[in-house]
Amino acid sequence: MPVQLVAPDWSLLVPPLVVLGTILVLLAADLVLPRERQAGLTVVALLGLALALASLLTIDWSAGATTFGGMYRADSFSLFVSLVALVAGILSILVSAGYVEAGIEPGGMALAEYLSLLLFSVLGTMLVGAAGDLLMIFLGIEMSSLAVYALTAFARRRLTSIEGALKYFLLGAFATAIFLYGIAWVYGLTGSIMLGDIAAALRGSVQGDAPVEASLLLALLLLAVGLGFKVAAVPFHMWTPDAYQGAPTPVSAYMSVVPKVAGFAAMARVLVQGLNPLSQQWLLLIAILAFITMVYGNVVAIAQRDVKRMLGYSSIGHTGYMLAGLAAFTSLQPGDRSVSSLLFYLFAYAFMNIGAFGVVAWLQERGQGVNLEDFQGLAARSPLAAIAMTIFMLSLMGMPPLIGFYAKYYVILALIEAGLLWLAVAIVIMSAVSAFFYLRVVAVMYFNEPAGAWQVARTPLLGAGLAVMALGNLALGLFSGPVLDLAQRWALAFA
Amino acid sequence: MDQIPILSLITYAPLIGALILFLWPGATGRAVRWIALLGTGVSFVLSLAMLAAFDRSAPGMQFTEFIDWLPGLGIAYRLGVDGISAPLVVLTTLLSLISVVASWDPIQRRVREYYISLLLLETGMLGVFVSLDLFLFYIFWEVMLIPMALIIGIWGSENRVYAAVKFFLYTLAGSLLMLVGIVAVYQAYFEQTGVRTLNVLELAQGTYGQAFQMWAFAAFFLAFAIKIPMWPFHTWLPDAHVEAPTAGSVILAGILLKMGGYGFLRFNLPLFPDATRAWAPFIIVLSLIAIIYGALVALVQPDLKKLVAYSSVSHMGFVTLGIFALNAQGLYGAMIVMISHGLVTGALFLLVGILYERAHTRQISAFGGLHRSMPVAAAFWGLFAFASLGLPGLSGFVGEFLAILGGFRVYRWAGVIAMFVVILAAWYMLWVLQRIVMMRAPGEPPDPDDPELRLATAHAVPPAAGGAGPHEHAVDPRTFPDVNWKELLTLAPLAVLTVWIGVYPGYLMRILRPAIEQVLTGFGRIGF
Repeated sequence: MPVQLVAPDWSLLVPPLVVLGTILVLLAADLVLPRERQAGLTVVALLGLALALASLLTIDWSAGATTFGGMYRADSFSLFVSLVALVAGILSILVSAGYVEAGIEPGGMALAEYLSLLLFSVLGTMLVGAAGDLLMIFLGIEMSSLAVYALTAFARRRLTSIEGALKYFLLGAFATAIFLYGIAWVYGLTGSIMLGDIAAALRGSVQGDAPVEASLLLALLLLAVGLGFKVAAVPFHMWTPDAYQGAPTPVSAYMSVVPKVAGFAAMARVLVQGLNPLSQQWLLLIAILAFITMVYGNVVAIAQRDVKRMLGYSSIGHTGYMLAGLAAFTSLQPGDRSVSSLLFYLFAYAFMNIGAFGVVAWLQERGQGVNLEDFQGLAARSPLAAIAMTIFMLSLMGMPPLIGFYAKYYVILALIEAGLLWLAVAIVIMSAVSAFFYLRVVAVMYFNEPAGAWQVARTPLLGAGLAVMALGNLALGLFSGPVLDLAQRWALAFA
Repeated sequence: MDQIPILSLITYAPLIGALILFLWPGATGRAVRWIALLGTGVSFVLSLAMLAAFDRSAPGMQFTEFIDWLPGLGIAYRLGVDGISAPLVVLTTLLSLISVVASWDPIQRRVREYYISLLLLETGMLGVFVSLDLFLFYIFWEVMLIPMALIIGIWGSENRVYAAVKFFLYTLAGSLLMLVGIVAVYQAYFEQTGVRTLNVLELAQGTYGQAFQMWAFAAFFLAFAIKIPMWPFHTWLPDAHVEAPTAGSVILAGILLKMGGYGFLRFNLPLFPDATRAWAPFIIVLSLIAIIYGALVALVQPDLKKLVAYSSVSHMGFVTLGIFALNAQGLYGAMIVMISHGLVTGALFLLVGILYERAHTRQISAFGGLHRSMPVAAAFWGLFAFASLGLPGLSGFVGEFLAILGGFRVYRWAGVIAMFVVILAAWYMLWVLQRIVMMRAPGEPPDPDDPELRLATAHAVPPAAGGAGPHEHAVDPRTFPDVNWKELLTLAPLAVLTVWIGVYPGYLMRILRPAIEQVLTGFGRIGF
């Protein structure tokens, strides 16, 4: 067969290319600038991401154009995933501004490397969202994960950081292998790695209620397990608490959101788009995973005193809510809310969770630890920080009128429309359980008196980031219409 | 919108006050108090204007406002009041205003935060009463929890953190299931008509299957039963009341509890009439248990605030008895008990707070002889205690009589039982009146000419046992100054309204009438 070389449509790739360009600038700057003069690189990274965000406007996403032979898709789903990844990237950099230079971690952290790794991970996530075939998903996930493994170990003189990174890396590598094995099976069974072709091939072979071939189920299971690791679904969550606790706090903030976005984008692409004809099989699997994940995460979080570890378990709980959104899938009709509720949840989650970790980092820069006791009397010391943390905690809890409530509402709506009442009830019961540990932070801040030494520090970028996220939690929920409409276009992308 | 959005103005006037306070960190305590007074005052005046312009003959919603919000999901900003919500709105603005005045001197710590919480709380409560969209309603319903929990947890007494967290978790757990119920009703209506809406008036037009109604009713019921609170969901109430600062207790008892009753009337009855009929006998039994249990437990309380708190459980039993009797008398009774209880119990908590300010204890045994040291306060104690126990001519009687009558017409036994429990109310109220107002103060030498007092002391512990009584550090109640003008200002309007409703309930009933008839049309029983 003669090989046809078609020039790719580079115009569709502008946003990832902007991110890549920023990374190259950062790496080049690292070569020429001495360590002590690198502080301005934070601004460079922020500008790069903002530029990428703006460049999203240059592409007509509704056309669903593809390039690189269908490997790269510029559709509405890609748009939303890129949007969330870039926004979360910007918020994470705001949170890490100051932390990296402040020397909180023994031995310090190299700023240029830190920023370029973080941007690589954002880039990987954007590529997963825009993936048109399984290999692209694999590459994107790896790009996103490998950078985060390194970031987790960035406090290189602290043992917990190394421990968390090693666990994360070993289990992540294991999961990647499983996922790759799943790709091989799918390719063997359907003869393609293109998502659209896989769906078409399966549609021909899967007939109504007839039992599905065992080999197909195996392939499905392998893919689901591999991605389950990436999003930290129970029982594949073992790495999460240690990695969250061990990583430098801004990295915890980042990795609680963006790799999750990559994992869920991959799940939506693989399951909803590629393995769509097998939905009877994977829907139940996802629903059960959702249930045990939300129960485990929320119940175990109650016992935590370390706020970072508590947020780690709580993020497992939120993975459960997001999986529940995916489990509400019924059909590729434009009115289906399953994937859109998942996408909106990811968007909301960036504002809530990065914010919560941001306040932890804010305290660390003032000489405090990361335990519940370190939050004592924060309301008396710094009312604004306490209000911000309260907003993040209540939003994570799902209290109206904050964005977390809207996110949960849309998931519950999707579930009830799909007839999964039991999962909706599970979500609200788990929300009540989660109130217990989120509220504890609020109670400690407001009801206890301040204790311990307090260092004064100036952190303008972090402060601005926290303010943006707190206001975002308030306003983006009340005016969630446009964001939700954008998320709702996913069905057009997958059709 | 061609008319003034008066309901929005009423609802958000306190919020604007809170925002000003939030943006002005350097405000002095005096400025903070005046801004709070202004916020609640504007809201109160506007609500009076609203009541004056309220058309008492028209059924249905008035002063409606509508802004499309999330049209794809049937969510809209939809406000309106009818005869049921209008009086509750006024009650809310009045009690909030009184709370601001009542906190003027007692709250000296973190004043700005306190008043921000109080103003946010008022906006939340008003929003609950004026929302006609279930989504909007739920938002206000939950928003209210946070400032209330903060008020209990920061400005409360010794065990405040426990009480605040318990209050928050208890009510949150109850209302979360309601959220599933809300979405389920929305979906059921959509499947039936193809219309996506969360407008409660529109949803009430739908007919839902019996099985669906039964569990959806339960989902809403749980939220409201915890709020009102019904036995056995009441355990958060005594803790929250006892630990809350005075104004917190006033608002908790005066308004928050009413939201449960309001929720039944606005949502459970119109949305799920069949399930209401099916559940009613069961709820009547719970109401009777609440009436008896609340009264019996109130009887043995050594703490004044706990006594009033448990009496609330008992009074709220009359409300649910009246509502689920499902006839006109019952509903009128329930509404009047709610409003009367807001006035009377609010006043009783203010009186407890006034005593606490002077004695720094709430133990009944620490007080006595107030008729001599605080004659004005003692007079108010008498008035409100009699109103609480249901003396004819005061507001408590009208409501309880009608509620019992309503219950009696449907379940004769329930009416009879409830009627006898009123005796218990007289017992605990008169007894507390006797102990703190009439009897001599602890440490006061017995009057040798008074045979009754001699009789009472014969059974009591000798007061002069080394001076080591439980209240040896307590201030002598004989030296208490009488109420000052601010305290008088908070009590007087409540006293006037209590007498007015007691003597002339017709005004209130005419406001209530069209709305109550509308609720009853769903049950095929109209009028007397």
